[in-house]
Amino acid sequence: MLIDTNVNLGSWPFTFTPERTAAQLVKHLAANGISRALVSHFGAVFQPDPMPSNRTLLASVNPTPALVPVPYVNLCLANWAEQLAECAAAKVCAVKLAPNFHNYKLTDPVVTQFIAALGRTKMRLVINMRFEDERHRYFALNVKGVPVADLSAFLQAHPKLHVLLAGIYRPEVKELAKVCPNFSAEISFCEWHNTLADLLTAIPARRLMLGTGTPMLSTRGEVDKLRLATIPAKARELIGATNATRFFKL
Amino acid sequence: MRIIDVHTHPIFFGLGRRESEIKQLVTHGRSLGIERMISLGDVLRYGAKPNAAQLTKLNNENGHLQKLHPDYFVGFCYLNPTLGERAVMQEAERCVTKFGFKGIKLEIANNAADACMKHVMKAARTFKLPVLQHSWSTTIIKDRRAQSDPDDTALLARRHPDVSIIMAHLVGIGFRGVLAAKGLPNLYVDTSGAFPEEGLVEYAVEHLGADHVLYGSDLPIRDGAVKIGSVLGTSLSAKVRHQILYANTARLLNLN
Repeated sequence: MLIDTNVNLGSWPFTFTPERTAAQLVKHLAANGISRALVSHFGAVFQPDPMPSNRTLLASVNPTPALVPVPYVNLCLANWAEQLAECAAAKVCAVKLAPNFHNYKLTDPVVTQFIAALGRTKMRLVINMRFEDERHRYFALNVKGVPVADLSAFLQAHPKLHVLLAGIYRPEVKELAKVCPNFSAEISFCEWHNTLADLLTAIPARRLMLGTGTPMLSTRGEVDKLRLATIPAKARELIGATNATRFFKL
Repeated sequence: MRIIDVHTHPIFFGLGRRESEIKQLVTHGRSLGIERMISLGDVLRYGAKPNAAQLTKLNNENGHLQKLHPDYFVGFCYLNPTLGERAVMQEAERCVTKFGFKGIKLEIANNAADACMKHVMKAARTFKLPVLQHSWSTTIIKDRRAQSDPDDTALLARRHPDVSIIMAHLVGIGFRGVLAAKGLPNLYVDTSGAFPEEGLVEYAVEHLGADHVLYGSDLPIRDGAVKIGSVLGTSLSAKVRHQILYANTARLLNLN
């Protein structure tokens, strides 16, 4: 059984991402050995208010047990607390932030207020670092990845909070792992020869989770990163499903 | 499933040159189905413009790798076009004679459209070698003196229709790079570079033809399992996948 912690519905406007329905997505993931996925919606990243796309997400995936919704909260908007409350009322297991797309920094005061409010719920936090490799993004969409220095400051300011970092590069994982014990990393944007064997030299398996970046990246390629890695079976199991099950309380 | 990886750097900034590491690389490659790796050398160890002595050292190291595992590694001769005709021809001849290298590798010493490329093309023609040119879309990475945009590599192929040219990094050249490469029978694209962007391999096959796309990883920067999976995960037929993963490179380099 594999759990994919980084999947999106909707379309990315600058490339040919397949726009799938929830049912089509389940079929596609199952064909690649994935039985469950944490899913967000691209519309919540690009649109001026994330909630319409979050509601579309909930309506699409709630009837589908294989898909677990992770809505975005936009902390740059005056009603972020209402967004969070609506997510909590919908009983989602986690919410996601995209600071670089929503125009704030993880070191801004609003983030501290948000963490306090999040702490009063049972929801987990996922921070999305990037959706694409900055070297070949669409030329006019100049959005850089979330700075590691900001993340480091954020994680150290909230030592009791454990977050999942999605879309993080391998060198960033290694750099952060030296100073911050309170994060897990999703692996879709980590790559090196025999990626996971390399990553495990810097961070324990209990802090890594499978993520494919579907539909931006090749689902099969990302699954094979885990499936064919020369790592202990126990580590494969943790990264493939156990860690996600525990973190998201699935 | 048979695979030839046309784009690898088994030794990278000096790392991976111990015999035990090389053996481990071969074992891991074989476990993924990779029968042969084209070793392009440790091309950036001395920066963008290695001198003649540095090139000799890097090519010797690549030759040694091939000697250690002659049934696995196939070397390409790394050249710096800006060193001029004499240096280019001498090093190409030395690599072909001494090591039997099967191609020429060009990195970021200059742009593929520069005049100095004619010496490399002369060497390729003389020794019947294909040329693998580092290429990346310069829409984001702007240094076009060193970075060859797909338009530049396509121009090189257009100027020298009698030389086989491999435009490296399908993911780096992107969709517009595929269109730049379209319609040139002597121009091939390898699948290496960056994260496995969905739909790109199919797009390349649609526009360039299944016989013009070669499997390459850019190992160790990339993960062979991911790169192979990005071909196997496409909707392409088994025949086309075999062409990409094995047959096209085997034919181009006369590997059997």
